[in-house]
Amino acid sequence: MGAREDEYDYLFKVVLIGDSGVGKSNLLSRFTRNEFNLESKSTIGVEFATRSIEVDGKTIKAQIWDTAGQERYRAITSAYYRGAVGALLVYDIAKHLTYENVERWLRELRDHADQNIVIMLVGNKSDLRHLRSVPTDEAKLFAERNGLSFIETSALDSTNVETAFQNILTEIYRIVSQKQIRDPPEGDVIRPSNVEPIDVKPTVTADVRKQCCQ
Amino acid sequence: MEVEQTSVRSDTNSTCEYLDAEGDPESPNLYQEADPDQEAEQQNHSIISELRDGLGTMRDNSALSPEPGQENKGLAASVESLALSTSTSAKTEDSIGGGLEEEYDYQHDSLWQGQKKHIFILSEAGKPIFSLHGNEDKLATLFGVIQALVSFVQMGQDAITSIHAGGIKFAFMQRSSLILVAASRSNMSVQQLQLQLGDVYNQILSILTYSHMTKIFERRKNFDLRRLLSGSERLFYNLLANDSSSAKVSNNIFTFLTNSIRVFPLPTTIRSQITSAIQSNCSKIKNLVFAVLIANNKLIALVRMKKYSIHPADLRLIFNLVECSESFKSSENWSPICLPKFDMNGYLHAHVSYLADDCQACLLLLSVDRDAFFTLAEAKAKITEKLRKSHCLEAINEELQQPFNAKLYQQVVGIPELRHFLYKPKSTAQLLCPMLRHPYKSLTELERLEAIYCDLLHRIHNSSRPLKLIYEMKEREVVLAWATGTYELYAIFEPVVDKATVIKYVDKLIKWIEKEYDVYFIRNHATF
Repeated sequence: MGAREDEYDYLFKVVLIGDSGVGKSNLLSRFTRNEFNLESKSTIGVEFATRSIEVDGKTIKAQIWDTAGQERYRAITSAYYRGAVGALLVYDIAKHLTYENVERWLRELRDHADQNIVIMLVGNKSDLRHLRSVPTDEAKLFAERNGLSFIETSALDSTNVETAFQNILTEIYRIVSQKQIRDPPEGDVIRPSNVEPIDVKPTVTADVRKQCCQ
Repeated sequence: MEVEQTSVRSDTNSTCEYLDAEGDPESPNLYQEADPDQEAEQQNHSIISELRDGLGTMRDNSALSPEPGQENKGLAASVESLALSTSTSAKTEDSIGGGLEEEYDYQHDSLWQGQKKHIFILSEAGKPIFSLHGNEDKLATLFGVIQALVSFVQMGQDAITSIHAGGIKFAFMQRSSLILVAASRSNMSVQQLQLQLGDVYNQILSILTYSHMTKIFERRKNFDLRRLLSGSERLFYNLLANDSSSAKVSNNIFTFLTNSIRVFPLPTTIRSQITSAIQSNCSKIKNLVFAVLIANNKLIALVRMKKYSIHPADLRLIFNLVECSESFKSSENWSPICLPKFDMNGYLHAHVSYLADDCQACLLLLSVDRDAFFTLAEAKAKITEKLRKSHCLEAINEELQQPFNAKLYQQVVGIPELRHFLYKPKSTAQLLCPMLRHPYKSLTELERLEAIYCDLLHRIHNSSRPLKLIYEMKEREVVLAWATGTYELYAIFEPVVDKATVIKYVDKLIKWIEKEYDVYFIRNHATF
């Protein structure tokens, strides 16, 4: 990490969730290091990596948490979600069961995460065209109904990975900026401490969110 | 020093010999397992809870209640049926659960049968959990036989420890609702196989904790433990790939056989600076119990909370975790890990990361506080910065770039007839051994070397008749094993070397090791 990487205007914690094997870790490694591992192994515990991007001239440092999908790691679940302002809910377009479990992951977010967390539904492995079992339109409709952003990605061939992170971070930034405009900052919210990311406070409830699709 | 020459022992393999435990045999020191009473006491005692309470971190214990899984009734019925049968025939026909997928018959698979080592793990109810080779689902028949054997001996108020048949040793271990079996054609003794099973059992505890696993099996005896262990298979494969049966030529087998770890060679001043950097940046962190720095499967430094120490079996679990987790090199990791010898009932939480992109040393900070991630991440960053400024990262890299330690190599080359040795101080569980070189670089030769050491270690630590000195002229080697009050030395020489020369060489080697002791060993582990 260079010195420039340590300077940022905002630090946003984003969590990756979804069934084991949908490609969460490769999304992380593709975004933070532009690497893909074909023989990806099950994540042990929680992995944590960072990368900075620019939005509207501001440096956003994304602090991305990738968890194991196995249930034995539930003990560290509460710590995992604390302070998260965004979540990428990942399923595998070639395994319908991982899409069916999206509802369960949404309940988990409701139980453990801040209620105003920004959620993006991510259909990964879009390169497996011939094995697709989740129609794009079906997932897009589900996302609309639940107030989620939606995108399909391929960590293998890099399709939309950058876009997915850019979009969710931009959306979080818009919400934070909007809050700052409406509520003048009392303290120094521009440079939060390293330990606790920004807490997203309620904003106007948007029934329809901007769609981001392939 | 009086050396008594012994004749080469010829082993006659007895066929169909059946051995069982006679009461409570005294086990040798090297392979000492906690005795039942001590283990029972430890089961109810939790160091981690004690630490947490004492340090005022009040936190509600959220129980890990597993979701009730779907039962495979067909399989359960099949296993129960087999368990009730006294027949040990592998071809038992079972018409119950006709819908079961037809089982592949491993009994007639010569590749599967020809494996040098098999490891099986099942629950007391006969439920398959793990098989080193083959799909454990397809081995239900065999597991039923294993369960029947264990139950049969159990009914006689006894416990099965081994079976010797057809040149294969079968070692058994029963622990808290689990049955572990090793089947081996190698030269390992039954005790050595049981040490291996002990490491496997500890790996399971490390993932689940004893209390959690016990609770599960109390609630449901036929629980399928594989669901909870999913994603951990590579930890077992890597743990068991430590000898020549994995077709890998390495020194890993020797740390396991001697129940020890290896130390990363470093000059004394460098190691002191590293230890100080860890101490100064961690001493104020409340719930930190251990800091472990590892490179190339060897220990650089261990700093610990006062009063607590770490068992070599627990360190081997840490090494195993690091060795088979490549992704730690590019991110920070936060994992629950149970160290069973330290506290088998609770998790420590480990911040795991490599020091820097340009320094492949892995630092683990182990805390009882599961919310300590950012505190530990900050401490790690400061440690790395301090080590960079004092050029310790360079020193570590310098050593890492060498295929083997240059000084050790020169010393071994300086005794041309010395082929290999193992040196273990009595006061620490640390091992010094040189790189493998001719003739032990091929797999078949490594197998022979392994066999020699297995035999020597077994005879030195034999429970009924331990030895202090073995000198043996074999067909292709002269071997020496010497257990003194301060160290154990096992050395392998060219076959043409005579006794007087062996004594001279051993003296030379011991003097050199004593001179360089602090480069290759860590006398005391510092505290925070």
